[in-house]
Amino acid sequence: MKFLVRLATKNLWRYGRRTLITAAAIALGLATYVLLDSMLVGADEESVRNLIWYETGSARVMHPDYWAERERAPLRHVIEDPDSVLDALRSQDVAATPRTTFSGELIVWRDPFPEDGSLLVHVTAIDPETDGRVYRFDQWITEGRPLQAGEPGVVLGSWLAEDLGAEVGYPLIISARSRYGARVTIDAEVVGILNSPNPVINRGGIFLPLDIADLYLDMEGAVTQIDLRFADYARVEGPIAELKQLPALRDLEIADWRLLGADYIAMMEADSVGSGIILFLVFVIAAVGVSNTMLMTIFERTREIGMMRALGMDDRAIRNLFLIEAAGIGLIGAAAGILLGALGNIPMVRVGIDYSAMFRTMDAGYRSTGVLYGAWVPSTFVIAALMGVALAVIVALVPTRRALRMDIPRALSRQ
Amino acid sequence: MISVTNVQKQYRDGDTTVHALRGVSLSIEQGEFISIAGPSGSGKTTLLNLIGCIDTATAGEISIDGRAVAGCGKRELAAIRREKLGFVFQSFNLIPVLTAFENVAFSLTLTGTPDAEARERTMRILDEVGLAGMEDRRPSQLSGGQQQRVAVARALVKEPTVVLADEPTANLDSRTGHAILELMVEMNRRHNTTFVFSTHDQMVMDYARRLTMLHDGEIVSDERRSA
Repeated sequence: MKFLVRLATKNLWRYGRRTLITAAAIALGLATYVLLDSMLVGADEESVRNLIWYETGSARVMHPDYWAERERAPLRHVIEDPDSVLDALRSQDVAATPRTTFSGELIVWRDPFPEDGSLLVHVTAIDPETDGRVYRFDQWITEGRPLQAGEPGVVLGSWLAEDLGAEVGYPLIISARSRYGARVTIDAEVVGILNSPNPVINRGGIFLPLDIADLYLDMEGAVTQIDLRFADYARVEGPIAELKQLPALRDLEIADWRLLGADYIAMMEADSVGSGIILFLVFVIAAVGVSNTMLMTIFERTREIGMMRALGMDDRAIRNLFLIEAAGIGLIGAAAGILLGALGNIPMVRVGIDYSAMFRTMDAGYRSTGVLYGAWVPSTFVIAALMGVALAVIVALVPTRRALRMDIPRALSRQ
Repeated sequence: MISVTNVQKQYRDGDTTVHALRGVSLSIEQGEFISIAGPSGSGKTTLLNLIGCIDTATAGEISIDGRAVAGCGKRELAAIRREKLGFVFQSFNLIPVLTAFENVAFSLTLTGTPDAEARERTMRILDEVGLAGMEDRRPSQLSGGQQQRVAVARALVKEPTVVLADEPTANLDSRTGHAILELMVEMNRRHNTTFVFSTHDQMVMDYARRLTMLHDGEIVSDERRSA
């Protein structure tokens, strides 16, 4: 084996140009893989973060029957005594905020809006005092100011505001059904425009103070949900199981962000299949490029193979010799590819790529509005290295086997 | 030592069947210096390939040192080639990335000879073929004659039963060819190694002490000469 490794190393040097060309093809494929994977993982990480920070929190407490009817945002299934729940959560040092989500019709009219119109919407009533414990909106109010309790103010997502032609100070009407089915009309004024990193919020977010919603919707202190924030959103099962033991929460449902953001999670999983296919294609392209040069390399050395067989070298040893050479090329390619990928990933992680123009017009499903950053994924580098070597070895296998199947006299007569 | 009995070799060339050998029988004893000669297509290279276990006969029997090669598997044939046979090719066929020393030692590496012994035997045979001081040169740094000397050394270093040489002078000028043949004669005399040549070169035939002529796949004459 030592001899084979030495011979293989010498052959790699001897066919230096071809070694470099083949290794370069592998390196390019791997660098592309590293960068693509970094971007996809970065996008997923940021999307999950933005989903939790702006849409779902880490988990949500709600009436057990609410979830099944959540699309209609019903006010029938509510938490009647949110204060006792909040007290219980506070005793466990869990950051929490009450909210009420309801469906209604947003009505605007010409002057000051560009034209008359109405829109079916979901409105989120938030407690301005405590919402910041779970969500991070305040820093993204780009125009106007945050909501204040007791005033019929509305904060709009920036893209929705843009689509409506809304500006701070514009009046609007929210028409909805109260908890008991009565038609109610809330006269409100746009007090702030919210331009968050979450496109779902920017595209459709309408926020109202919770006490105003309580008043108009006859909620009598009830809310539709209490949203929670845990220190580590990756591990929510344990804290949720503990909270379920609390008497105040025993009859309520607690859903984690994965369930609350199930639509996005499903899309992310579908995306990861698509991304897997893209990454697979990258490898196929690299494999085609590599196999061509590998094929040439081995066929050009058919006579050498014939000579080694004539001298009594085992077919297995000859195959191993060529596979070691291929692995060497793969290793050089993998090292170069990883280096290239790592260098390319530095600006991806630090500066990112600005997709804001694309995300504004197209709903790609990602919870990101602008700059997507790459991520350092150590496993990708390990996989890339292994794939580089495996790729080279696999594409060398077929031509080597074919060359070894050739009769020795025929192999020796090859020019 | 080498026994060839009624050997036939046929192969397909498109729609036609080519009869390369038609029942050849031949016996070669230890220490012989034999040329198998004949015009192109006479079957001399085919016969050499069959004796060299790099091709298989359609019918008939070949045995080397009393061991029948028919029915041997690929690995057994490789072992026979590795241990009992040495090859000298028309176009030298050295491994380009290895030095003269390494090319010769390659044969011993395959037989699993310990490093120290392999080194000693390689240096000695390189000295015998007149390449002392050129051990570290690669094939590209050697002349054609020198490369063929390396090939002869590679064939001889493992002390094989027989050295098979296919047109060994075809790629050499006549002076170098003579020198190589003289070297082989000397090695034959010194080590009593059997040499079997296939050739249509009169010069090689002149050196042979036994000349077997083939024509259309049959032996037409088998003449022993005095040294």
